[in-house]
Amino acid sequence: MAEQSFIEITGLTKWYKNTTVAAVDQLNLNIDEGEIFGLLGPNGAGKTTTLSILCNQIPFSGGDISINGFSLKRNAMELKKIIGVVPQEIALYDKLTAFENLRFFGNLYGLKGNFLKSRIADCMVNFGLEGKLNKKIDTFSGGMKRRVNLIAGILHKPRILFLDEPTVGIDVQSKTVIIDYLKELNKEGTTILYTSHHMDEAEHFCTRIAIIDQGKIIAKGAPSEMIKLQKGCESLEDIFLHLTGRKLRD
Amino acid sequence: MLLLFRDRAGLAMLFVMPMALILIMTLLQDSTFKILEEKQMSVLVLNYDADTFGINIVEGLKQSSVFDVVERLDGKAFDENAMKQQLMLGNYRIGIVIRKNATTALKNKIRLGIQAQFPVEEGPIFDLDSTDASDTANVKLYFDPITQSVFRQNIISALHEFSAAVEAKILFGIYADLFNDMLDIQLKPTQKLKNLVVFEQEYASTAINKIVPNAVQHNVPAWTIFAMFFIVIPLAGNLIKERQSGVAMRLKTMPGSEQAVVFGKGVVYFVVGILQAIFMLLIGFYVLPLFGMYSLKIDSHTLPALALIIIATSMAATGYGIVIGTIATSQEQSSIFGSISVVILAALGGVWVPTFMMSEFMVTVSKLSPLNWGLNGFYDIFLRNANITEVLPYAASLTIFFLLCLLISRFYTKFK
Repeated sequence: MAEQSFIEITGLTKWYKNTTVAAVDQLNLNIDEGEIFGLLGPNGAGKTTTLSILCNQIPFSGGDISINGFSLKRNAMELKKIIGVVPQEIALYDKLTAFENLRFFGNLYGLKGNFLKSRIADCMVNFGLEGKLNKKIDTFSGGMKRRVNLIAGILHKPRILFLDEPTVGIDVQSKTVIIDYLKELNKEGTTILYTSHHMDEAEHFCTRIAIIDQGKIIAKGAPSEMIKLQKGCESLEDIFLHLTGRKLRD
Repeated sequence: MLLLFRDRAGLAMLFVMPMALILIMTLLQDSTFKILEEKQMSVLVLNYDADTFGINIVEGLKQSSVFDVVERLDGKAFDENAMKQQLMLGNYRIGIVIRKNATTALKNKIRLGIQAQFPVEEGPIFDLDSTDASDTANVKLYFDPITQSVFRQNIISALHEFSAAVEAKILFGIYADLFNDMLDIQLKPTQKLKNLVVFEQEYASTAINKIVPNAVQHNVPAWTIFAMFFIVIPLAGNLIKERQSGVAMRLKTMPGSEQAVVFGKGVVYFVVGILQAIFMLLIGFYVLPLFGMYSLKIDSHTLPALALIIIATSMAATGYGIVIGTIATSQEQSSIFGSISVVILAALGGVWVPTFMMSEFMVTVSKLSPLNWGLNGFYDIFLRNANITEVLPYAASLTIFFLLCLLISRFYTKFK
């Protein structure tokens, strides 16, 4: 009997109402524990939908998902405790301070008291936000907001972290801090599944990637191996363009 | 809770706006309500008939506690044109002109009526007094066009009452003369030819302290309920903002029930609604008297009923906020729809214009508004000293409305 993967996606399908094409179409994917897995694809390919399903944000139309041996359909509550989510939007209360936001989300993960306080303080230091704890989010720059947005998803040290374009629209410095921290987190045992449009970032960050288009996986593997195998391609971006084409997407 | 406290504009809307509304509307409506209650109505009177009818009508008006008879303007006599001018200027609402020879004309009408009862062959039994034939109307009434029909009816009823008494007096005099002439019987004059039917008035209340409705008793609960329902705007706005920012989605990925988060939010706004009610009622108890208005009064045994109505109203307002926040797709939509719908429900429910001033049809329509249920509950407490059992139907209606709102929100979210 083959060993079960940490995340097993089998025949995943998602239909939105009043559409003629499936957003995710019979998708199969296995991700091992400890991997940094990148889900790449052009706009509207189905990356965010797949991630949203895995995070329990939206229901799926068909197929099956198991995480750490638990079915997502039947054990959603148990799975919520071990996953962390960093959405693409800055999902924070902008009228509250960074500390108030993080305390609220930490409480929802069951963290309390001094442990939560020190965890918040540590994370803020790690992300270069010391001294900003009591500032309101609406006074933060885009990069600072994105870092707090990430902290809110990792306070409880999740076993799996789902990130939807965590580095979009920020400067190189912020991006470097985020990527370096995620690598550290991965070393400590957190499995990471992330989506991005930054091919260069994904090439160096991910242990494996899958390119998804029109709801289907069209290629997957370790970035270096994929580059090696694809003739005429010198980077992940070349492979991406080769597979998905140069036509503009909506 | 923190979000609400950070929203200063929202808090001002929830506490300062209704406080200002209570003060302004109560001050504005105080005089109107006093007119409805007890204040005298000034009436311009021109009496050209220096006989029984004119004298009795003017005396009747003067003796009535309802009317303040004005026969001179700035100490000078005035004519019919000056009267019309005063009404057009809006200085007075009603003018009464008692025609010259009104008594003679009335006597002639009565005599003709009696004459008609005798056979024609008997011939005339009266010599009619000469009078101006054009005097078909004994009294002419002038009204300011904006005079409410209730005031018009009031003066007409009073005049009918006084003239009926004069008619009876004249009729008795004519019959007395007739008896004297025809039968040689001397009838004694009587003063007891009016108010033969005695009316007893009592407020339909079992309470010892019978409270008459006044501007404070209407405006304080009315605007309190209005303010409580205005919680729709910050609550719905908050829910939509949470959805738009992605916080709602983040919350969905976290352990714990999604309903628990909405419930937690609802509880905060429910408590704020209760605080609003307490704050507004305290204004009615302690602040309004400082402006020379009545103080809101309540019997201690009605406090449980008051608490029940406040709780039920706050629940209904919170439920309405949740349903608007669930269905609306943008903050603009929720604030426009939320505020307009609350204003409409308030207008229908008798917040702006009390239901006792509404037509029968509108009174029926007003029963559809949850604000009317709350207002009627408050009315029952402040006007009838109602106990908890008596306000239970209103509290139940408001609670059902709250549950209905939650159900709609739940199904809408599921359907979407």
